[in-house]
Amino acid sequence: MSEFAVDLQTLRKRYSNGVEALAGVSLQIPYGSIFGLIGPNGAGKSTLVKSLLSILRPTECRGTMLGKNIGHKATLAQVGYLPEHASFPDYLTGRQVIEYAAGLAHLSRSACSARCDALLEKVGMTEAANRSIRTYSKGMKQRIGLAQALIHDPVVVFLDEPTDGVDPQGRIDFKHIIASLRDEGRTVLVNSHLLSEVEQVADRVAILSKGRIIQQGLVAELTRRESRYEIKYLGEIPAPLRDWCGQREMSISAHSITCHATDALAIQPLIDQLRASLVVICEIKEERYSLEEFFLQAVAQAQADPSATKGGHS
Amino acid sequence: MIQAYTILLDSLRMLRANKLFWVSMWISTFVALVYASIGFTPTGVSVGFGLAKFDMALLREGSKEAETFYLLIFTDVIARFWLGWLALILALISTCSIFPQFLQSGSIELVLSKPVSRLRLFVLKYLGGLLFVTVQTSLFCLVAFVAIGLRLEEWSVSIFWAVPIITFAFSLIYCVGVLIGVLTRSTVFSLLGALLFWALTLVAQWTEDLTYQFAYLFPAMGMQMNFSTGQLEDTTDESAETWKKYHAATQTITAVLPKARECTLSLKRLIRFRERPSLLTGMDFGSVYAGGDMDPVVKQAMEKRELRHSWLALITSSLIFELLVLGLAATIFMRRDY
Repeated sequence: MSEFAVDLQTLRKRYSNGVEALAGVSLQIPYGSIFGLIGPNGAGKSTLVKSLLSILRPTECRGTMLGKNIGHKATLAQVGYLPEHASFPDYLTGRQVIEYAAGLAHLSRSACSARCDALLEKVGMTEAANRSIRTYSKGMKQRIGLAQALIHDPVVVFLDEPTDGVDPQGRIDFKHIIASLRDEGRTVLVNSHLLSEVEQVADRVAILSKGRIIQQGLVAELTRRESRYEIKYLGEIPAPLRDWCGQREMSISAHSITCHATDALAIQPLIDQLRASLVVICEIKEERYSLEEFFLQAVAQAQADPSATKGGHS
Repeated sequence: MIQAYTILLDSLRMLRANKLFWVSMWISTFVALVYASIGFTPTGVSVGFGLAKFDMALLREGSKEAETFYLLIFTDVIARFWLGWLALILALISTCSIFPQFLQSGSIELVLSKPVSRLRLFVLKYLGGLLFVTVQTSLFCLVAFVAIGLRLEEWSVSIFWAVPIITFAFSLIYCVGVLIGVLTRSTVFSLLGALLFWALTLVAQWTEDLTYQFAYLFPAMGMQMNFSTGQLEDTTDESAETWKKYHAATQTITAVLPKARECTLSLKRLIRFRERPSLLTGMDFGSVYAGGDMDPVVKQAMEKRELRHSWLALITSSLIFELLVLGLAATIFMRRDY
């Protein structure tokens, strides 16, 4: 069996109007991980998710989900989905929405009943479960949406902008719920604009821009890849040392030198040079890029050079 | 099976939440009760369970004409105008939103992400829309069945033919609304399109019926219409032949159209009573008031007019139309990206 819950070799989607929403996306999502899919508006994130779920018909698709070819309908019994701007029939109660989803996923009433209560508890909707959906706030609807995505005990869960319209407390709750899904052994794909949230919860991310994956890999590796070191000093930097730093793209400001490096080993020569020049080192600080900074940089680079795409580490 | 139950249960819940469904249901119940309240006295007719009485020698208690009259109210007035017209319009208003709402962004994705085939989804959603009419007509027929049973002491289950026939007649128009709804995702377009199509089929069928009368019915009675004077005159072969050509042309057009109106009218052929293969065939209110003593030639001509389209042809041509329209709608539904 493949180690990936989703193993996508290539996915292309060209609409009838000629717009190429996805231009040959390749993606691997390991079992039991939380995968963040990020990208600017119109990058193709929702198109990618909808293609994996057969809601859209891809122009070309090679890959598997849970070991079956993408598009295999029966596999969807093991997949949960919360779409962006989910809209539920307003004549149903929250509980009925979950029961409806369960029925469509072939879950018997008895099995649904037991699981429904547990899920309502999990998403904090037990008290409001029997109220009509039309009385719910946006955040409450998202909670019910999450519960309906989980009612059939899926192996893979796709969450498209799950915290859209959710208040700060709700976002924290969602973060904990998503983390708990991974602890239960599920694979989660989170598609979100809120990069700080993705960074907090995701193990891996892929950055999508103009229908292409421009970066993907472990969150820790991607942010470390662009880490920098700031060295604070006392006194003056001699001219030869300034030239030496300039040749290595290190920036010198008043009492600090900034050096882009992936690990501490790379700054050892600088430390040696400073000590040889009798410059007093006060502080050495590693500063990692946040996912948001990394994202902005990656998207800017991709826009400057559209042909450049970088595969990440698996 | 669980999926089918789930989708149909959802359709029932949707109906229950629809105010227009209840308005229609209450009107249906009211009409059914008014019908049940009509009775016959030794001197005439009573309405409102005896509240108002009208002396009518022809329609007195126990007369054959009174029985005929009572049944004609059901087949020629209630089934034709309430169930076949007004209730269907209310049903269209209520159900034409089903597919456009279902196809809304954020709603359709939830369902399509489940392991249910798009064809099954389409068919079950379509059948769910038909429930609106099925439920209403069933309730109505139940009341009418009890009323006719008590009044005429004839417990004819053939009354319940109205349920599949009226539902089928509704489905012939509703399928057009579904096609437009799937194409445009607009409730307004779906409803207006269905109503417009219904109007067009009615005009075509009325025209066919009218040309038939001028081509066959009037000549059989030895008459023809003089359109310059507006008077009926003795028929001529030349005039009848001209009208036969017009009738053949209109018949060709109506042959491919669904026959919702004729299906509703055909109820009279299906509702059968004791010792009479079809009590009402060839009879209308005019013949009742004439005491049933209609000229045999005229009666035969009218019977021929009513039976000119075979039951099989009515159902088959309408069914083919419906299957084609639904097939097209289902294909669009299944192939579209959401």
